Amino acid sequence: MKSRVLVITSGKGGVGKTTTTANLGTALAMMGKKVVLLDTDIGLRNLDVVMGLENRIVFDVVDVVNGNCRLKQALIRDKRFEKLSLLPAAQTKDKTAVSPHQMKNLTNELREDFDYILVDCPAGIEQGFRNAISGADNAIIVATPEVSSVRDADRIIGLLEAAGLNNSQLIINRLRAKMVKCGDMMNIEDIIDILSIDLLGVVPEDESIVVSTNRGEPAVMENYSRAGEAYRRISRRIMGEDIPLNSLEEENSIVNKFKKILRLAK
Amino acid sequence: MIAVLQNLGTEFFIDLTECTTFAEIQAELYKKMESIADPAYVSGLNIVIGKEKISRAELRKIEGIVLDHGFLLNSLTANGPPEQSGSPENDTLYPEQLSQYQETALICRNLRSGQKFYTEGNVVILGDINPGAEVVAGGNILVMGVLRGMVHAGAFGDETVIVAAYRLNPTQLRIANHITRPPEGEEIIVEGPELARIKAGKVIIEKLKI
Repeated sequence: MKSRVLVITSGKGGVGKTTTTANLGTALAMMGKKVVLLDTDIGLRNLDVVMGLENRIVFDVVDVVNGNCRLKQALIRDKRFEKLSLLPAAQTKDKTAVSPHQMKNLTNELREDFDYILVDCPAGIEQGFRNAISGADNAIIVATPEVSSVRDADRIIGLLEAAGLNNSQLIINRLRAKMVKCGDMMNIEDIIDILSIDLLGVVPEDESIVVSTNRGEPAVMENYSRAGEAYRRISRRIMGEDIPLNSLEEENSIVNKFKKILRLAK
Repeated sequence: MIAVLQNLGTEFFIDLTECTTFAEIQAELYKKMESIADPAYVSGLNIVIGKEKISRAELRKIEGIVLDHGFLLNSLTANGPPEQSGSPENDTLYPEQLSQYQETALICRNLRSGQKFYTEGNVVILGDINPGAEVVAGGNILVMGVLRGMVHAGAFGDETVIVAAYRLNPTQLRIANHITRPPEGEEIIVEGPELARIKAGKVIIEKLKI
């Protein structure tokens, strides 16, 4: 199989890029794919923390591109899934420590050993962003149902198109079905209407994400997490399976129907 | 500049400074056009007339004559003595202005936040203009999608231009030196194409009748 480099980006900060990267990577590895997570947020690294691998970092991505170590030395093999690796960002440098050209070479090197290379992009549109997208085949845009997030996502899609990355896909994160129903939150159609790109999946708001993130265990590892379930479905879509998009909402609507019936009975 | 164009061999220069009335200009222009032997060789025409002002209708006639002979009107310079010291701004059509409208840009994609398109002529967009995107045109703007961003038509002061969109829902709409924004609070949903233009010194929005 040809390996794929996917950059997970959003423009706006705090919408869940790192969480998405960690969960999709874990889910893909759980399904038997060789996956490497590449953190490009140099100076503000988080992915290692979310993955619970912070205390195992010896070398980082800057060391690799500068030739201070070999690539294999810097890769951290996940203790839970042997097919999952992490290449952490440096914390004591900044985004200018790496150039887009170096990043492209690095991703090409990683292609030889992995099926999926997931690049966690920093917020913003500056050098960090340019580094992250330089070696990517496709982009996954993460947006929350907020006007500001959608606006930034739109900007990012424009920049990606300018850089030759055309088939970006969208993950809508932290959707609250109840609020959407009341009209208090942007609905999926509104967002797709503006961004006009393919929808890869919708992740519901889920408090258990906070717990799993703090614990360093991605939500996809928990069977009962709703967000984890959504991420598992998305990762199967990434692998090319045809998973319907709306089943999650349907589940909710069935629950709601029951609630309504109960209310009527009372 | 004229000399340079002549060197290229693709443009012609016609001097009609002797003609002061429109009838004269028309007659003389006919003669000159007939005298150009091989129109295929010449694409653009630059005309200088001896009249200070020229109306839009007259200009169209001249353009028609030129087109009938297989040419394009590149520029028309009104070079006559000033008739009065009033305001020549409104009626006079300057050559710069003329050439603007000969060009129409076609954009076959969505314009996204942060993207800006600028043209001196008209622009047709086969796609949406998203919030945060900007389109500035010297002429008219036609959007065959949803207009959600900022557009500025008639950027050089032409108040006769229009902005038409399949769905007109801009963050801000500018025509010439008028700046408007949608009314605050209420959300107006119109299911149909609309057109914005200046009428009696105000920007008005009306349904686009096709």
